[in-house]
Amino acid sequence: MTATMPPPDAPEAPTNRPPSMHRVRNWMRRPYARWVMVLTVVIGFLLLPLCWLLLAAMNQTGAPASEIMQDIETTVFVFTIVSIPITAFVFAVLVYSLLGWKHVSGDEVPADESPAIRGNVIGATLWTVVSSLLAMFLVVWGLVELAQITANSYGTISADEQPGGKDALIVNVTGQQWVWTFEYPQHDGLTSDVLYLPKDRAVYFNVTSKDVIHNFWAVELGVKIDANPGAITQTGVTPNKAGTFNVRCAELCGLHHAYMETQIQVLEKDAFDSWVRESGGGRTS
Amino acid sequence: MSTATTTVRGVEQVTQPPQHGKPGGIMRHLNLGTGLLTGIVFAVGAGWIVAALTPSSATTPTFAPAEPEYVYLAGLIGWVIGFMLGMGAFIGPLRWMMGRDLTHDDAEYMAGKDLGVKRYFKFTTDHKVVGVQYLVVTLVIFGFGGTLAMLIRTELGVTWSEVFSPEFYNSLIGTHGIAMIIAMIIAVSGPLGNFIVPMMIGARDMAYPRLNALSLWLLVAAAVCLISSMFVGGMQDGWSAYQPLGSQAPPGMLGYQLTIIVFAISTAIASVNLMTTILTMRAKGMTWSRTPIFVYGIFASSLMGLYAFPFYQYSQILALTDRVWGTVFFNPLYGGSVWLYENLFWLLGHPEVYVIIIPTAAVTLELMPVFLRKPLFSYNFAIAGIVGVVALSGLVWAHHMYMTGWAPAVNYPFMLSTEMISIPVGFLVLVAIGTFWRGTVWTRLPLMAVYALVFNKMIGGVTGIYLSDVPADQYFHGSMFVVAHFHYMLMGAGLFGAMGGIAFYFPKMTGRILDERIGSIGLWTAFVGFQLTFGSMFVAGLQGMPRRVLQFDEQFNISNWISTIGAYIIGLGMLIFLAAIIFSWTSGVRASGNPWGSKSLEWQTAQPVPLENFEVLPVVTERPYNYGVPDPYDEELAAEDGDRVEKVGAS
Repeated sequence: MTATMPPPDAPEAPTNRPPSMHRVRNWMRRPYARWVMVLTVVIGFLLLPLCWLLLAAMNQTGAPASEIMQDIETTVFVFTIVSIPITAFVFAVLVYSLLGWKHVSGDEVPADESPAIRGNVIGATLWTVVSSLLAMFLVVWGLVELAQITANSYGTISADEQPGGKDALIVNVTGQQWVWTFEYPQHDGLTSDVLYLPKDRAVYFNVTSKDVIHNFWAVELGVKIDANPGAITQTGVTPNKAGTFNVRCAELCGLHHAYMETQIQVLEKDAFDSWVRESGGGRTS
Repeated sequence: MSTATTTVRGVEQVTQPPQHGKPGGIMRHLNLGTGLLTGIVFAVGAGWIVAALTPSSATTPTFAPAEPEYVYLAGLIGWVIGFMLGMGAFIGPLRWMMGRDLTHDDAEYMAGKDLGVKRYFKFTTDHKVVGVQYLVVTLVIFGFGGTLAMLIRTELGVTWSEVFSPEFYNSLIGTHGIAMIIAMIIAVSGPLGNFIVPMMIGARDMAYPRLNALSLWLLVAAAVCLISSMFVGGMQDGWSAYQPLGSQAPPGMLGYQLTIIVFAISTAIASVNLMTTILTMRAKGMTWSRTPIFVYGIFASSLMGLYAFPFYQYSQILALTDRVWGTVFFNPLYGGSVWLYENLFWLLGHPEVYVIIIPTAAVTLELMPVFLRKPLFSYNFAIAGIVGVVALSGLVWAHHMYMTGWAPAVNYPFMLSTEMISIPVGFLVLVAIGTFWRGTVWTRLPLMAVYALVFNKMIGGVTGIYLSDVPADQYFHGSMFVVAHFHYMLMGAGLFGAMGGIAFYFPKMTGRILDERIGSIGLWTAFVGFQLTFGSMFVAGLQGMPRRVLQFDEQFNISNWISTIGAYIIGLGMLIFLAAIIFSWTSGVRASGNPWGSKSLEWQTAQPVPLENFEVLPVVTERPYNYGVPDPYDEELAAEDGDRVEKVGAS
């Protein structure tokens, strides 16, 4: 231990990098440190395909049909990428502790041969800073995305107001055990049990329920909001892809909750207008 | 027994407090048998009286409960009161009311002195007996909830037809949920909190031994209420029992509500007891910086339980009055609010996750130094992690309500607080991997469970950040993804950690080693099955499969088949693990008092642990986890530093 104490009259070590950097370099020269780093990289690359697997599963019924859903997929992708390094590092330590560092088996209590490490200032600081920065990144990313999605889905609509955009289509969604009903107030109260929507036009949903809590989930549009009895909740979306999509109930609502699903038909403008006319919906916008 | 300086019982010079009355009396004849008998008599009696009093045309303004409903409720209340009376839970207070206390002999009798195996079937106050009783009750509730899980997966695996009616299926998912939540809440705090914590802090017993027994037997009474609900239609609305759906459920709903009301009392009593014990009864010299991390974990869990459970209890009391007396707290038709229920429920719902996770994380950190033969990496970070989680635990509940439309503006702050919680949880992960760092791994079963736990916790934690993010939650909320995520946390981290903790303390609790071979086979079988079941459930959720459904589109078939196969493998693994427990308990290898060579106080007791644990109360003189040797690299580094200084000095 005497070696650690410089002679009292020794001059300060003149060095062009701080001693902590020296320690980090010194530490990186140790074989186990290198191996853990290598393992982290390897496991990280093994985990990388997960991103595409996640997105492939999300897109199984078709690519996102609105900007909101695209934002959601971007978020999933980014979060996965961001969490891979830390996950890979933890897994690398687990794997290396079984392979690289000593291990003993048997009933005999092993002698206390492990190093008595009671913390490491550099390591702990690094971990804290990195994990805090990552958490801050997630928060900021989430707040920005949420603001964007809110702007996309609510617009300036409020419970008493007409929609901000004149062009917007309003759909009153009513859940009841165990069917969805869609009413189009701008078209003489036309109702349908399949959700017909025009492509590239803002749609606002006023969602409510007649009995218990349901959840209106337009899967490929990335729209989800509870249908509450005694209250109207609002959301909205602009579909940007024509096709057939799914509405499911995402809140347990009783015996036939599983069967409370229907379809969305996103149509081109002309097709939507002619659907409205054929269904007796009166004036078109 | 003759250390003169201590107050050892039975030594003549110790003066006894003045006693009134003779020892003995009815309490010596009460046990589990009389409890069951009295409970059934009271249940039948109360039911009969209510049936006789209720007019057959009883009506209430909303959902009119039929006569059987009142009878069932009265029967349940009768059962709880009768059972507790018959167990002798109120002997102490009743004697007080009559102007005399338990005599010294009675108190010793109540602690199970010289009663042998019989003490496990009585209202016994010894904390070690209560701990073992908790272990058995936990295993029973797990068995019940696990059986229901197998039935759920059977229904979902058979994609070509309905195996069960929707009524039965919905009651399966609700009862499975609440049974497993209760089992996980008590899995570590019950057996280990009661058995180990007093020994770990060098105390003779808990602060309130009678309350300790009371909390255990209230739990038993509640568990019977819960199981009984399956026979009267079950609760068909998920464990969250959202109103007004809950008011449509059959009478089984009352069983659930009474279970929660009684269980919340049991939890409050247990929490206060553990916290008082930890605060006031630590051995001389056990300062806060010398207190083992598991004690911190149990304290944190108790604290969170103490503030969280009342919300749950209120919500169920209000829902019960809505149902039985036609009040309209949660009935929107009459001005009630469904969002009020959701808030009350999740004010329990999220702290409860940490009530489960923190003790399992703490018991993990407690056993790692023993099997890695090195101190805990940064004890202070572990404490900071626990404190951070407790501080944030009450501020995150509304992330379960992002999609309810309740108050879209609060999504922003709740997203912030939820994502902040990854920082203290990260501290705990850091402590875990730091303790693995360069450790000599003693490959025994408890440490193997830690590997399983850390693996699952990383996956559960990472998938948690998708759910904490409002935009992503807009896709995942209410889907199978959520189910997979919280099973990774509560089962993957919680249950596997609890298995490790129980394997670790098994020798102290039973005097025998948990069989390594059978136990490991069970653990790893369950682990593999777990990855299959819940890994593919993530995929189903990503594909857009809602949770709590009985049937689904064909596109989800493959992931559900894999999930069901995995579930059976988990079931097999758990049965093997249970077999290991039963086999080892009855005829395993006998263990010495300290088979793992631990330096912690609880392992320094005699085996079997005597009543009151320590003959002489210990004095703590050093910090915990004093394992290991000085780091050779440190010395090398120091030498190098010295070299540099010398070189500089020379030049």
